[in-house]
Amino acid sequence: MTTATTEAPPRPAPTRRRRAREWTAIAFIAPLVIYLLLFYAYPLVANVSMSLHRFDRGTFVNGGAPFVGLDVYGEVVDNPRFWTVVRQTAAFTVASLAFQYLLGLAAAVFFHRGGFRLAAPLRAALLIPWLLPIIVSGTTWQWMMNPDNGILNAAFGVLGLDPVWWLSADNALTSVTIVNIWLGIPFNLVILYSGLQNIPKELYEAAAIDGAGPWQQFRRITLPMLRPVSLIALLLGLVYTLKVVDVIWIMTLGTGTSQTLATWAYGMAFGKGASGVIRYSEASAVGTVLLLVALAFGMLYTAAQRKQEN
Amino acid sequence: MPRTWWKTPVALLMTAVMLFPLYWMLNVSLTRRDSIRRGDLLPFDFTLDHYRAAFGDQLPYLGTSLLIGIGTAALTLAIAAPASFALAKLSVPGRGVLGFALIVAQMIPAVVMALGFYSIYNAVGLLDTIPGLILADSTIAVPFAALLLTAFMAGLPRELLQAAQLDGASQWRTFRSVVLPVSRNALITAALFAFLWAWSDFIFASTLNREGGALRPVTMGIYDYIGAQNQEWGPMTATAVIASVPAAVLLVAAQRYIAAGVTAGAVKD
Amino acid sequence: MTKRTHWPLAAAAALALSAAAACSNGGTPEPGAEGNAEEGSTTAEIAFWDPYPQHAEGSAWDEHVKSCAPEGSAITRTSAPQTDLFNQLTTAVKEGTAPDVVLLDNPMMPEAVAAGMLATAEQSGIDTAGVDANLLGPGVVDGEAYGVPFGSNALGLYYNADLLAASGVDPASVTDWDSLNAALGQVADGGGKGITFSGVTGEEGVFQFLPWFWGAGADLADPASAEAVAAGQLLSDWIGEGYAPRSAATDNQSAAWDLFLTGEYAFAENGSWFAAAAAEADFEVGVIPIPAKDGGVAPVPTGGEFAVAPIQSEDASDHYANAAAVIACLTEGEAALQTNETLGYLSAKADVRAEQVAANPLWEPWVAAVEGAQGRTTDLGSDYVGVSASLSEAITASLNAEGDPAAVETAFQDAGGF
Repeated sequence: MTTATTEAPPRPAPTRRRRAREWTAIAFIAPLVIYLLLFYAYPLVANVSMSLHRFDRGTFVNGGAPFVGLDVYGEVVDNPRFWTVVRQTAAFTVASLAFQYLLGLAAAVFFHRGGFRLAAPLRAALLIPWLLPIIVSGTTWQWMMNPDNGILNAAFGVLGLDPVWWLSADNALTSVTIVNIWLGIPFNLVILYSGLQNIPKELYEAAAIDGAGPWQQFRRITLPMLRPVSLIALLLGLVYTLKVVDVIWIMTLGTGTSQTLATWAYGMAFGKGASGVIRYSEASAVGTVLLLVALAFGMLYTAAQRKQEN
Repeated sequence: MPRTWWKTPVALLMTAVMLFPLYWMLNVSLTRRDSIRRGDLLPFDFTLDHYRAAFGDQLPYLGTSLLIGIGTAALTLAIAAPASFALAKLSVPGRGVLGFALIVAQMIPAVVMALGFYSIYNAVGLLDTIPGLILADSTIAVPFAALLLTAFMAGLPRELLQAAQLDGASQWRTFRSVVLPVSRNALITAALFAFLWAWSDFIFASTLNREGGALRPVTMGIYDYIGAQNQEWGPMTATAVIASVPAAVLLVAAQRYIAAGVTAGAVKD
Repeated sequence: MTKRTHWPLAAAAALALSAAAACSNGGTPEPGAEGNAEEGSTTAEIAFWDPYPQHAEGSAWDEHVKSCAPEGSAITRTSAPQTDLFNQLTTAVKEGTAPDVVLLDNPMMPEAVAAGMLATAEQSGIDTAGVDANLLGPGVVDGEAYGVPFGSNALGLYYNADLLAASGVDPASVTDWDSLNAALGQVADGGGKGITFSGVTGEEGVFQFLPWFWGAGADLADPASAEAVAAGQLLSDWIGEGYAPRSAATDNQSAAWDLFLTGEYAFAENGSWFAAAAAEADFEVGVIPIPAKDGGVAPVPTGGEFAVAPIQSEDASDHYANAAAVIACLTEGEAALQTNETLGYLSAKADVRAEQVAANPLWEPWVAAVEGAQGRTTDLGSDYVGVSASLSEAITASLNAEGDPAAVETAFQDAGGF
């Protein structure tokens, strides 16, 4: 993690004191390191190992899965579906991230500027979608998007628009993206709002004295000051969006265009969706691909951090 | 600041749009099963039966969920907060590696984690226990909290810490009496997410706590309404409505606290 | 504490003994081939898993199961939906923590057996005598029975008698696909809606599709045949004509039933488990068998679960003794009838079924369907899962085609793969 503006000691300290400081730092960080090793190392290794062996239900239970090297990866990438699913995952992720962030930011700035009645209770209310079990909110959306008697199409009818088959094979991706954006706005709102609160008020006051209008204040103060928090919100948003299974699954079972790498892996790992065949190895391979994608963006994030520090 | 008349209606509209699915759920929970799929705008075929069923079945699970949520939030902060301080403000060897580890850790699907936990828990006897579930749920939140808190603490003015160190305070005391109070907003935000994730977790609960009886969280209780060929949507939505009440209260309370922290000027200086 | 110091010795001895036993059989031991119900005795705690979470603790089913605990034992019952239950069982068998008794959905049987997860009926002391052959079929692999089906459900065509009467349709006239389509058209002309069914992705949708598939003369060995396409075309046309809701592509059987309950639809393809609920609907509900394409009754797939004993690695004989006792209680004698009545199933045994029908006329229309039902996996064994996956994709694509014949045909030809 290189978020920090590294706290280089003001002047070269004696080696002994520096070492003592290092030990204190290690003591602070030790619980986290132990925790990570204890809880993540094993699943991570197990996941990779599973993708290098050919597992089915029988060998999973009784052992004896043969080692096949990277064969499973080859099969997954050669699958005619692979690149389609990658494209859909990219579209889902980019659209979700962009809209979640922008709408979350707009709402955060709107509420942070305040100056209107009911600001606090309404801001809290906006977070309530988070409290709902996704099985329930996902199904509710499915009903609202019902092509025959759903409330969305009824509203379209009032506006004189044609009804839409929201969850058809072709429209599924758009529909689940809309719902995922809805789910992600509270997350962005909370994080960005906290970030806004950490911007010292004096900066705005000074800018106002200099005659900067609201838009200039936003561009010259809010955006740059919000950058570390924005980066973290986008990175985490990316990781969570890549991982999204539940809401897609509840609405469409990953059918049609709504299949993403994560739902594909989920279906194969559990024998759910169209195919009841368990494919532990293929699922793990897709999971590893997702991990690599996240790693790549982690590096981008670090690079962005560095640039900011300079 | 001058009040602007148009802002309240805009905020109301925004909230209404965001909460419409919630209204729809409420609507369903008050409608008789015969008419649930008719899609009426109001619960014309009104019934309270679903709530009767939900209250009868689900109350013990709600308590369990609260306990697990609070426990997870506490554990998450206990592990992530000191580490974030070290990552943000102290020179830690191998910081970069740890940062990547945190990002990768977020990416491991919960199902993979759950299967790994199952064999470990089975060996040490943590299956079907609340501490076991708290520990498992915290794995969703700890990497997140560590990244978030590090980002926040990195922004703390260095003069603040230097002042404390000039006073001769140890790192631990600096952390406890300067860093923690100043980071209250970020801590509450991280705790809030930890709570919410634990509150809505299903995968860990269904793998590690499926034989926990009344000590199962409410997400499991909700799944009881999904049968092999029959699903009870009425009681399910009613449970979701009931279950969102304690969580909503907590949320509003936490929000107030964040707001209070700002007006008290905790972040300044 | 002499016991503690001696246990490694005892373990070594046991290991040597079992190795010797394996040698005397002339080969490596089959996983879990050890243990027999007759050599064990029931234990104080018995774990029981079923796929009926809707029957909560304290419900009639819950108490019925618990009343089947043998003297000195208590049953702990836990539930999860079908696929989750199967996956949880997979993990539990791997970790050696499998329950004593599991009720497993019948099409999962061949795969569970192939994965070495189940004890044979003989080993676990399960009596399969008197069970109909078509229902027992999915649980028989290479001539060996694994577990026993206690009851069955079947699919039929429910109809809204009030709506049909208002549209001038006589349900008895529906005897083949043409007359069914004619009836649907007549209802639609009168302003009503046609039919609800579940076309949801996965086994559930395939289960609902098979009566049309088999009724067209298609065979699971060739899921892309012209007959299969005809069945897909039938459903696709219903969507295209507006007879069936587009949401059929995402509705599960429960959702399809709820749609029928609104009273707006004339027909509903659904299962016998809703027979009791149908009697309480706001309108009069009748049921007819699902017609085959050119007349006659289409075979329906067998529905329902098997009671099985999972493989155990420790104290296997005791676990199997538990299974034998509990399963015998649930499937034999007086309780067998109650098991089925509580779940809304028809018994897998002809004599118990006759008793059920005599006591409750509700069952009468369903007996023929259950007796004529075909096991989904009987011919293909564990290969069925793959065929079902292809069919599921073809169904989804057909429904989305909204009647377009070219698209339906491609749907069946392109299906497959992972």
